[in-house]
Amino acid sequence: MLGELEQVVLLAVMRVGNDAYGVPVHDEIQRRAGRDLTLGTIYKTLTRLEDKGLVASYIGAPTTERGGRRTRCYTVTVSGKRALQATFKALRQMAAGLDVGLEPT
Amino acid sequence: MRFCIWLLERFLRPEVSASVVGDLIEQRERGTFWIYSETLSALWNLHTRAHAGDGLVTTLLIDLRIAARLLRRSPAFAIVSVLTLGLAIGATTSIFSVIEPVLLRPLPYPHADHLAFVWERERDGGRDNVGYATFRDFMNESKTIAYAAAIGDWQPTLSDKGNPERVAGDRVSWQYFRTLGVRPELGRDFIAEEDVPGKNQVVILSHGLWERRYGADRSIIGRTISIADNPMTVVGVMPASFDNVVSPAAQIWRVLGYANQPFACRTCHHLRMLARIRPETDMATAATELDQIHKRMEKTYPKAYASVGASVVTMQEEATREFRPALLALTAAVLLVLLIAVANVVNLQLARAVRREEEFAIRAALGARRARLVGQLLTEGLLLALLGGVAGLVFARISLPVLVDRLPAALPRLSAIHLDLSALGAVTALVLLLAVVMGLAPARGPIGDLGINLRSGRRLSGGRNHLTRAALVVGEVSLAVMLLVSAGLIARSLVRLLAVDTGFDPAHLLTLEINSVGANYRSDASVFAYHDRVREAVAALPGVTNVAVANQLPLAGNVDMYGVIDPENIPSNPELVPSGDRYVVSGSYLSAMRIPILRGRNFTASEMIDTTNRVALVSAALAQRMWPGANPIGKHIRLEGPKGHDRLVVGVVGNVRHRGLDATSTLQWYAPERQWSFADNQEILIVRTAGDPAALAASVRKVVASIDPTQPIVKMATMDQIIATSTAQRRLALVLFGAFAGAALLLAVAGIYGVLAGSVAERTREIGVRSALGATPRDIIGLVVGQGGRLSAIGLVLGVAGSVALTRYLRTLLFGVGPTDPTTFVGVVTLLGLVTVAACLIPAMRASRVDPSRALRSE
Repeated sequence: MLGELEQVVLLAVMRVGNDAYGVPVHDEIQRRAGRDLTLGTIYKTLTRLEDKGLVASYIGAPTTERGGRRTRCYTVTVSGKRALQATFKALRQMAAGLDVGLEPT
Repeated sequence: MRFCIWLLERFLRPEVSASVVGDLIEQRERGTFWIYSETLSALWNLHTRAHAGDGLVTTLLIDLRIAARLLRRSPAFAIVSVLTLGLAIGATTSIFSVIEPVLLRPLPYPHADHLAFVWERERDGGRDNVGYATFRDFMNESKTIAYAAAIGDWQPTLSDKGNPERVAGDRVSWQYFRTLGVRPELGRDFIAEEDVPGKNQVVILSHGLWERRYGADRSIIGRTISIADNPMTVVGVMPASFDNVVSPAAQIWRVLGYANQPFACRTCHHLRMLARIRPETDMATAATELDQIHKRMEKTYPKAYASVGASVVTMQEEATREFRPALLALTAAVLLVLLIAVANVVNLQLARAVRREEEFAIRAALGARRARLVGQLLTEGLLLALLGGVAGLVFARISLPVLVDRLPAALPRLSAIHLDLSALGAVTALVLLLAVVMGLAPARGPIGDLGINLRSGRRLSGGRNHLTRAALVVGEVSLAVMLLVSAGLIARSLVRLLAVDTGFDPAHLLTLEINSVGANYRSDASVFAYHDRVREAVAALPGVTNVAVANQLPLAGNVDMYGVIDPENIPSNPELVPSGDRYVVSGSYLSAMRIPILRGRNFTASEMIDTTNRVALVSAALAQRMWPGANPIGKHIRLEGPKGHDRLVVGVVGNVRHRGLDATSTLQWYAPERQWSFADNQEILIVRTAGDPAALAASVRKVVASIDPTQPIVKMATMDQIIATSTAQRRLALVLFGAFAGAALLLAVAGIYGVLAGSVAERTREIGVRSALGATPRDIIGLVVGQGGRLSAIGLVLGVAGSVALTRYLRTLLFGVGPTDPTTFVGVVTLLGLVTVAACLIPAMRASRVDPSRALRSE
């Protein structure tokens, strides 16, 4: 079962698609969930997810607008997707029959 | 930005920092605040855990993180500790911010340590001002004095611009500013040629007066301004930075110009003498030399001196003489409060450390070295001290202006009081010290024997820890006793002081100063006519029951004395003649002030206008001094001065407190205003009212102004206000000591409560066993209260001993009570005893409700 922060970050990485690094992930979470996480929190979560094998990262090209620093971009792995599915399934089952706004499919 | 990048790249692993730094650079337009908060967050979140090889900063960062997390987890502990420390540090900072510029910092003049006041030393060790001739002899004969100046009080009325204004000033001999080592900012200093009669119509303005009244007009130099309708030339303006320690209120200086006038005498002690000692000599040499010069003057003019030598006092000491004891007492008090606060926080730390024994035992078992654990505790102490320091600075920022507002205006260097770097430095040093104390206390105590604790698997909190905490509580109680005794003594002094009989009825009195200066009042008759018109007009106001005028008021800080001689019995040495306060009054003065006539009668209406048959009233103390045991009615007095008329004593009146409620009593004599040798241009109008005197202030002011709108009306106050002002320093001391003592009481009680509550929690099992074996709830309560009572009793005994040793330093703040006043001591001991017992009762009740079966099962 994934932590709440892990779920949010995983979903954001999937939504951003290509070039999912700190800033786009942050902006996506802010836009959709209205939560202003710090980059530190996001990278910390991504590192933890990578340790668990739920995301994979690759190094982008250094650009001048980043002061010559490379981006580290993340994609959700198959086990990441599976972990999300398992989490949501568990949530749906827990919520079944309860009026909490989460309908079973 | 560069600093943030440096921080991130220094403390994060490169593959982590590259991402964050890149993001920050890319998004830098989000603003500096965003960059800094993101940097802090990244450092906080992405920093890797501490390992043996980590640098000091890394370890510190991680320890800080742990400490912050721990504080967040016990908010009650955090809030209580930070508030306690904050209030104590804040109070200390505020008091230190006052002490530092007032008592410690050198005065704002070049080589200020060579500036000194020179006084005539009296037989009883007291001192007196000097006369002009004495000043000249000191200055001319001394080889150790580089510059010297004579300073006389001056209260000019600026009468130009159709807007009369009384300001405080000084009349100074020409070298005054040279002596101080300061120069006018505009124009020039006084010169020797001006310091003679007739040429002395020149003034120098303070920066404040120049800006306020003359609109900072630079062309003022060389212009003539009107002072009491006399033209005076402005020759200079002092810089804004000139901090006048000699007379903090003075706004204008006029050159003295005495030379060989009648005022240039030896017996009139009306000048202060300021001297700059030559740089190559020191104070002691100068003091010896001036003493010898004084001895020669005594020989040459044996009738001119009652004094027995010269007294040389550094300007720094002189400026703070009156306030030093009170300020030092306050500093001591605030340091006591700080000690109590630290004791309390250490106590809390120890209580917490007991609960954390297992945590530390486990960490030690997992391989943490002892140094690492102590480091962690030190960091926790540092964090707590830092938070307390920040809270303290906030508190000081709020409290300092409030405090400065209430300080006596005569305190020198008030303007130099700021929450400044030196205060900050002191606070920082304090905070670091506290951090070490607070960090190491638990390290020495409960965290000491790690192995044993883990093996036993149970709280073993050793006896040493209990002893430390008990000692801390005893210390807190004893310090609280000292503060409460001090506050109690000061409070009782104020009560005694306000109960002093003033000799008149101060209720329902409104007083104000009326002036009659300028071209319209050249003749004495015009001044008297003005006084009469003002009196009649004010008397006609509804609510006014009596109106009088007098040249001075009791308790208002006026000094106007004349030597009183019995013409039939003139003493051989004029310096031994008693001095009496001059009260030149209207006929209604005694009835308006409600001063009783003890013998004889008041002035008659005809004596108030008759200028040939001079009469006088004397105070009972003056009568006793002049004619001990004899009937004073029918005797004569002659007042020293150029026109020494004999006056028939027609009555004896009650003594009044003239100098102050706490000052030595003085003698008084009274004469009708038209029988005095000159008309006073500044008079006090005394208005007795049926109701609240303050309510009549506006209408009285309006009526007085309507009679002559060109004359300034100043110093309007009720007599109650004047008395309050005269006791202001004691009131402030009482408020501060009261606040400190209250805080100390609260902290001491909290300390006792904390120790007992902790002890009851740890002894639950023992208490359970006791009650299982038949101890009643009453026995249990007695057990706990007895434990607290013992601590409190030891603290009380130590506190009383400490108070006996220390309260004598409060002597200048006391009045009518001794420093070991038994009533105060008994009262404080009773109060503290009762309050501490009450603090014991809550944990005692809890202990008495321990259910033996549950207490035993929990093991």
